[in-house]
Amino acid sequence: MEIDFSPELEAFRAEVCDFLDTAPTPEIREAGRKLTSVFAPFEQVMAWHKILYEKGWAAPSWPKEHGGTGWTVEQRYIFAEEYRRRDLPPLLPQSLGMVGPLLIDIGTEEQKAKYLPPILKGEDFWAQGYSEPNSGSDLASLSCRADKDGDDYIINGSKIWTTYAHHANRMFMLVRTDNTGKKQQGITFLLLDRVDYPGMTIRPIVGLDGFPEQCEVFFEDVRVPQSGRVGEENDGWTVAKHLLKHERGGGAQSPTLHRGIERIREAAKDTPSGFGTSLAEDPVFLRDLGELEADIASYEAFEKLGVSGHPMANDPSWPSMNKTMNSVLTQRISVMMTRVTGNEGLPLQHEALRVGANVEPLGSDLELVAMPYYLNSRATTIYAGSNEVQRDLIARTAGRGA
Amino acid sequence: MDFSFTDEQQMLRDSVSSFLQRSYDFDARSKIVRSAEGWSRAIWEQIAEIGLLALPVAEDAGGLGGTAPDLVAVAEPFGAHLLAEPFIATLLAAPLLASVEDERLEGIMEGSKLAALAYEEGHGTADPSHIAMTAHRDGERFMLDGEKRMVLAGGDADLLLVVARLEDRLEDRLALFSLSPDSDGITIKGYQTIDGRRAANIRFSGVQVEKDDLLANDIEDALRKALDTAILALCAESVGAMGELLSRTAEYASTRKQFGVPIATFQAVAHRLADMKIAYTKARATLLYTAALMEAGHATERDMAILKGQTGKLGREVGEAAIQTHGGVGMTDELAVSHLHKRILANDALLGSSEYHLRKVGNLSRS
Repeated sequence: MEIDFSPELEAFRAEVCDFLDTAPTPEIREAGRKLTSVFAPFEQVMAWHKILYEKGWAAPSWPKEHGGTGWTVEQRYIFAEEYRRRDLPPLLPQSLGMVGPLLIDIGTEEQKAKYLPPILKGEDFWAQGYSEPNSGSDLASLSCRADKDGDDYIINGSKIWTTYAHHANRMFMLVRTDNTGKKQQGITFLLLDRVDYPGMTIRPIVGLDGFPEQCEVFFEDVRVPQSGRVGEENDGWTVAKHLLKHERGGGAQSPTLHRGIERIREAAKDTPSGFGTSLAEDPVFLRDLGELEADIASYEAFEKLGVSGHPMANDPSWPSMNKTMNSVLTQRISVMMTRVTGNEGLPLQHEALRVGANVEPLGSDLELVAMPYYLNSRATTIYAGSNEVQRDLIARTAGRGA
Repeated sequence: MDFSFTDEQQMLRDSVSSFLQRSYDFDARSKIVRSAEGWSRAIWEQIAEIGLLALPVAEDAGGLGGTAPDLVAVAEPFGAHLLAEPFIATLLAAPLLASVEDERLEGIMEGSKLAALAYEEGHGTADPSHIAMTAHRDGERFMLDGEKRMVLAGGDADLLLVVARLEDRLEDRLALFSLSPDSDGITIKGYQTIDGRRAANIRFSGVQVEKDDLLANDIEDALRKALDTAILALCAESVGAMGELLSRTAEYASTRKQFGVPIATFQAVAHRLADMKIAYTKARATLLYTAALMEAGHATERDMAILKGQTGKLGREVGEAAIQTHGGVGMTDELAVSHLHKRILANDALLGSSEYHLRKVGNLSRS
């Protein structure tokens, strides 16, 4: 076993700190402070993406030959820690964390050459068209169809929970190309170069937190070229499952959770417990916080085992375990935040949450974000395959590796 | 960053596992635990022969200088096989003898003699600062009064190592004394623990200790190190037991049929299996990560509290889920399931329970 604690790492940390202290604009910082979701405010996070690209730091998890940083696991964690410590907005996952790694793994050379550079540069943003109104957990039952016509497909149907489709310029999606065999066998994975093809309509859906993060996308005789297909026709399920590994799989998420604990600890100092002391001195609160912190620490250990390539991470259910743990911890952090903010989290402050709005929040930053963050975080155990679906997958190999 | 075992550690782990599979399967172990002595000297000798009793002792003290991952490689299979022999007791005592260059260490490492650390004073004395027993000066000698509880191997030891406060001038320090178990004023009440280990409560009434038997007048640093090592081993044992529970339960759920189908096909059962696997994986990741931190000399008090707290909590979850999934047979003495659960419960209670350690994590600010 080996963990690097060499002094060179501290020099690296200093370099990271220096950059993160100076490079982001005030708007980018504001977007990070007002974050209430995994998905940061679009305009500012894409501006930040471009700045990170210029520095060469946009894709720490990508292979070096495709523009990754070539950092060690230790370096990736230092970067993530310092990044989160400054409450900077996380880059959006759909392009960098999903379709990008998929194309790196199984895209054609043409697809890689065409799509990877603009993803890396932050010029393209991809929406993910997977779920449909009648196909959620049972994704393979999807019915949005694509019929061959010359060199094209004609798409008819709809997609839903297409996060940020209203900001996207490209889209990857699953379509039904065959209805005759098993439901998994007639699916094809398509890349769409545009989201404004004739016949395509995007309708934003306002969420329970009051923000339009999700969308529904309608297709009416939308003609797209067959060259956008990844993998073979009717083999899209294999491609989709591969992508899901990236969507559910681990990286350096624990620093985000640790940062949540830090914010909670700081805010607890100024919050009365109701029993004469501050929450930061309340033994029951501290005990609950300790339990959550320890669970986050275990998740960090799990993540680091995964990223460092420990044999346990070869388990086919590793991405599902990652998704399950991360989603639940995110929710628990959000619950703890609302526990600290109490009724100070009740005022609706949509205007103050908007980046660039010159509206003074009624209370602290945490009081501004805690409730919308809690509400938004209800999605973590639903998206990317509900935790029930993940448990089905984990149970299939329950005894393996033990 | 690398958390995998080296080839040598993997070989060590494999050889310990195959030795236990050969000589210490559940039936053999049950016979040993039911015997009058409650553990097997023959097994103990073989464990000593492989060199495992020298593992926790530094090389310059004649031991093997095993690292934290070495210890994990050994203790995981010990937990999976529910070892009843006094390995944890030796882990606690041997490094302390080494720290004072006591020649009796040799016999301990050879397995011919047994030493027990009389440290615990009740309710899982999790921190040495809570030790209350005081050694009073009596001329050239010392006088010990008080009680030590849950002294692992305390009824079988040839040598007792007693931790007590030394009221010496103005300083209040933890000292280490050595005593023969048949010294005047010592009453030993031995018993078996719920997980098949042997331990004892030991009462000291006006026990006189000669000056030469004061082994160290300030043992705290060495003691804390030995306690951390023991915590790592207890947690590794529990993780080993959790792995065993998970594989046995997964196997059972896929063969046991009710309503005409294997019970694993019911989602309520399947999801409990999934939760068991998540808990096991989390606990093992924490164990391996902490072992790597210890090996690098970077494990903090907080890291040890996280390991002990998480293992206890997650272990209980896995054990209780295993019993529930097995149903009636999970309630019996006949299957390993209940014994594995009891080992996890015992390891949780020793040296500070998960409640204690998780609360400690809450009290320690993250650096």
